[in-house]
Amino acid sequence: MKLKVLPPTLRQDRRYFAFELIGGNRVDRSDLLREIFSCASSLVGDKGSSECDIKLLDFEDSKGIVRCLRDRMDMTRAVLASVTSVDGKPVIIHVLGISGTVHGATTKYLEGCTVYSPEEKT
Amino acid sequence: MAERSFYDLSVHSVPDGKNTAQELVSMAKHLGFAGIGLSNHSTAEGLLKSDGVEGFDIFRTVEIVASNPSKLHGLVGKYRNKVDVLAVHGGDEGINRAALENSNVDVLLHPSTPKGSGLNHVLAKSASENNVAIAFDIDSLIMSRGGRRVHSLSHFRDYLALSRKYDVPMLLTSNASSIFGLRAPREIIALAVLFGMEKDEAIMALSETPLGIVQKKRHDKNYVCEGVEILEPSLSVQEDK
Repeated sequence: MKLKVLPPTLRQDRRYFAFELIGGNRVDRSDLLREIFSCASSLVGDKGSSECDIKLLDFEDSKGIVRCLRDRMDMTRAVLASVTSVDGKPVIIHVLGISGTVHGATTKYLEGCTVYSPEEKT
Repeated sequence: MAERSFYDLSVHSVPDGKNTAQELVSMAKHLGFAGIGLSNHSTAEGLLKSDGVEGFDIFRTVEIVASNPSKLHGLVGKYRNKVDVLAVHGGDEGINRAALENSNVDVLLHPSTPKGSGLNHVLAKSASENNVAIAFDIDSLIMSRGGRRVHSLSHFRDYLALSRKYDVPMLLTSNASSIFGLRAPREIIALAVLFGMEKDEAIMALSETPLGIVQKKRHDKNYVCEGVEILEPSLSVQEDK
C-alpha cells in the first residue's frame, strides 16, 4: 500500500530561522535545545510553546536552524532573544534570516557565514 | 521592508558595564544598529566623546542618577550642553516627576518604583508637554524571569497605554551592561510585540524617535529654548520680502 502524505492544504505553514550563536564556542546541541525550551516555557508557558512548535533542526559550529509556525514568528523570535546563557556561558542568539524552507535558510544565510566572535574583534 | 537605521540609546560601557566602548560598538554594528548612545551613570567617571566609527554613530549620553529633585535639576543643567542625549535614572516618584517636568530631559529610563509602575496620567501628560521620552528597557525582559519579568511586562503595558493616550514618545533601549545584553533590532521588536506594542510603533521607537532626540535643535548654537531661536539677520531680511 502506498503511503499517503498529508495534502498540502492541510500542512502547517512553517518558517525557518537561520541563526548564529554568539559567544557560545563549543556549545552542545542538547544544551542549547534545553536552554531554548526552558526559556520558551518561562516566557510564553506551555501553551505558547506548543503554539510556536519550536524545533531545533540543525546546530553545528555555532550556526543552526530553528523551525516554528509561521503565525508565531514574533513569539519565537522573542523566545530566542530571551536566551541569555547556555551552560553558564553568556550567549546571544542572533537571527540571520528567515526562510520558508530549510534549503533556503541554509543557502541564503548560513553558507559562507562566519560566526561573530567578540574576542577576535578586540 | 525598507531598510531603516536603528539606534539604541542606552548602553553602558566600562566602568559602568563590563565591556569597553569599542567592544560594544563592534557588537552593535554587527547586530545591525546604525548607532548607539553610550550612556554611563552620572555617578561613574568617564564621559565619552562622540567619535563615530565610519558608518556608525556614537552619541554622547549620560544617565543622571540623583537622590532628590533639586539635585536632579542641578545635574541636568550641568550636563545639558555636554551631551547629545540626557537620560534620567528613574525609579523614585519624586525623581520621575521632576524628570518629566523638565523639558531639558530627553529620556526617562526605568521609571518603575518598588510600589508600582511609577507613571500615571498626570505624569504622562507632562511627559508629553515637555517631550520627554519613556524608555522600555528590554533587559528587564531578557535578564529576569518569573515574578520580576511579570511585573516588568505589566508595567510596560501601563506605559504603553499612557503613552498612546497622551502621545508620549516611546523608546526601546537595551540598557545593556555587557555585549551579551545587546539584542538585534528585529529581536527587540519581537520582544516589544509581547507586551502589546504594534510593529510600526516598535520600529518608530528604535529608529525615528531616538534619531529625533539626537537631532533636536538644541545642539544648534542659535537655539535658545523650545520655540525660540536666533535667526541670522540677513536671513530674516530675505524672508520679509
